Amino acid sequence: MKSMIHVENLVKTFKGNVQAVRGVSFSVEEGEFFAFLGPNGAGKSTTIQMITTLLKPTSGRAEIAGFDVMNEPEQIRRVIGVALQETGIDPQLTGRELLEIQGKLFGFQSSVARKRADELLELVGLTEDAHRKCGKYSGGMRRRLDLALTLVQRPKVLFLDEPTTGLDPYNRKLIWEEIRSLNKEQGTTIFLTTQYLEEADELADRISIINEGKIVASGTQENLKASIGADVIDLVFSTEEEARRASALLARFEGEVKQSGSELRLFVEKGPAKLPEIIRQLDQEFITPITLNVSPPSLDDVFLNLTGHTIQAEKLKREESHV
Amino acid sequence: MKIFVKHTWLFTKRSLLNTIRNPFAFIPNMVISLFFLFVYQAGLSGISKLPAFGGASYLAFILPVSIVSGAIGGAGGAGQSLITDLENGYFSRLLLTPASRLAIVLGPIIAGMLQLLVQTMLIMLIGFMMGLKVVTGFGGVVVVLLLAVGWGLAFAGYSVGFALRTKNAQAAQAGTFIFFPLLFLSTTFVPYDLIEAEWLKVAAFINPTTYVFEGMRAVMINGWGESAIWQAFIVIVLFCIATISFAAISARNAVSRG
Ligand SMILES: Nc1ncnc2c1ncn2[C@@H]1O[C@H](COP(=O)(O)OP(=O)(O)OP(=O)(O)O)[C@@H](O)[C@H]1O
Ligand SMILES: [Mg+2]
Repeated sequence: MKSMIHVENLVKTFKGNVQAVRGVSFSVEEGEFFAFLGPNGAGKSTTIQMITTLLKPTSGRAEIAGFDVMNEPEQIRRVIGVALQETGIDPQLTGRELLEIQGKLFGFQSSVARKRADELLELVGLTEDAHRKCGKYSGGMRRRLDLALTLVQRPKVLFLDEPTTGLDPYNRKLIWEEIRSLNKEQGTTIFLTTQYLEEADELADRISIINEGKIVASGTQENLKASIGADVIDLVFSTEEEARRASALLARFEGEVKQSGSELRLFVEKGPAKLPEIIRQLDQEFITPITLNVSPPSLDDVFLNLTGHTIQAEKLKREESHV
Repeated sequence: MKIFVKHTWLFTKRSLLNTIRNPFAFIPNMVISLFFLFVYQAGLSGISKLPAFGGASYLAFILPVSIVSGAIGGAGGAGQSLITDLENGYFSRLLLTPASRLAIVLGPIIAGMLQLLVQTMLIMLIGFMMGLKVVTGFGGVVVVLLLAVGWGLAFAGYSVGFALRTKNAQAAQAGTFIFFPLLFLSTTFVPYDLIEAEWLKVAAFINPTTYVFEGMRAVMINGWGESAIWQAFIVIVLFCIATISFAAISARNAVSRG
């Protein structure tokens, strides 16, 4: 198999010494579904814009389908489809008009462009609204139209920058199904960025976690979770006091104990096997948890482990610092 | 080349569609330029009896002001529509297609010129209904239209360059205010010899619009023999070269992956 996307040491430093991307390298195989997972400001959009010829890298190299981003941008634009984080539509035009213009720009005859528009409108469920100005569409409809516009020329590689952020579960599922079938049935290579762990977990063959402009871990979901090497045991107590006592008691198990309020989270190897001992210890001190849950680590745990905070907390921190 | 023409035409059609669907983008401008025509004609036409006018009709004298102010709308709209595209992300989507960058910028400019042409013809038609006489006949009308389009093209170059440079609707809007000095620091209401203040004479002398006014007036009032006619064309060509280069350089910077 050959590399469809190949990126080496990509760096982007904006004016004012903002280091948005600090040396990112990765490869995506033909037909692979690859996800970039990271919080706000991690450098996801900047990376996408560099590899799709919209932004000039400060340094480093990127190739798509064997074409160099810097020297062969025209060739690259013919094989890629890009849905940026902000949708790219002219609100004065109708969905159909936008799709037909897009087709003609890629060299379709009028009749072909019209047929392709029909197909895509059907595909994203906008046939009924095709003749309405898309400025009047809802957020979800706009996203779906944006995806359709990205697919007009049947790209070999699809770049999707947070395609479901801000969408309701219904629209999110629609888009998930759509891109999954593109990948599975048409063999389209997909590069997707997301802030949602479930999204990366659900869709991707392989994930890179990006934080503060650097890739901090890469691999399949299983690899990444296994890298923690521990299961997660969540316990909820009726009071904070009880949780504190339990925390002291359970600290002797090798592994980690994290308390927040009346909740405890233990990271221990072979979690299920340790359960009877944990219950026994608590029982001797007359502490009874309200709920107890053992699970393999989630991607959130991987992120927590790598960066010292959860992706949600990271998000909050960013949002606060932006206010 | 064939593809380039195709794409340019596609972008032009798109811009025209936008203009037609959004009439409030051009109607106010049209109203203002007709307002100039009616109000100044009604209020000031008496002064054309002064000897400095040489017996010219004030209607023919003020009509170029109305035409030039109307041309601003079509020309400024080109920059405005690029800003809108930048803001709603459509510009990026177009950059990701194989379309030529020049075609992307040219579409709205051509659409603006077509809009301006229609507007100018409308103003002239209204002028004729008010009793306008053009001594050079049909050829003179064509010259007036050419001068209007030429002046509009120069202003479009300026507005597109400014838009691509600032990438910001408010800033671009502010940029069109240059329209006031261009239109009024000139032989707008009276001939050059009647301008009182020395500074205004200097301003009118430097202002390219003055030559457009004078060229249009010469062809409508005096006839073909006037040097003002070819002077107007030279000034417009120079003005166009300056602003279109500014637009092209700004486009290269805005589009060349930042
Ligand atoms: N044009 C720019 N000029 C200056 N700084 C920028 C520019 N674009 C992005 N940045 C900065 O670069 C960093 C990375 O931004 P980027 O948009 O790539 O993050 P992201 O991972 O896409 O985040 P989000 O999830 O919020 O979309 C941020 O700190 C951002 O403020
Ligand atoms: Mg982003």
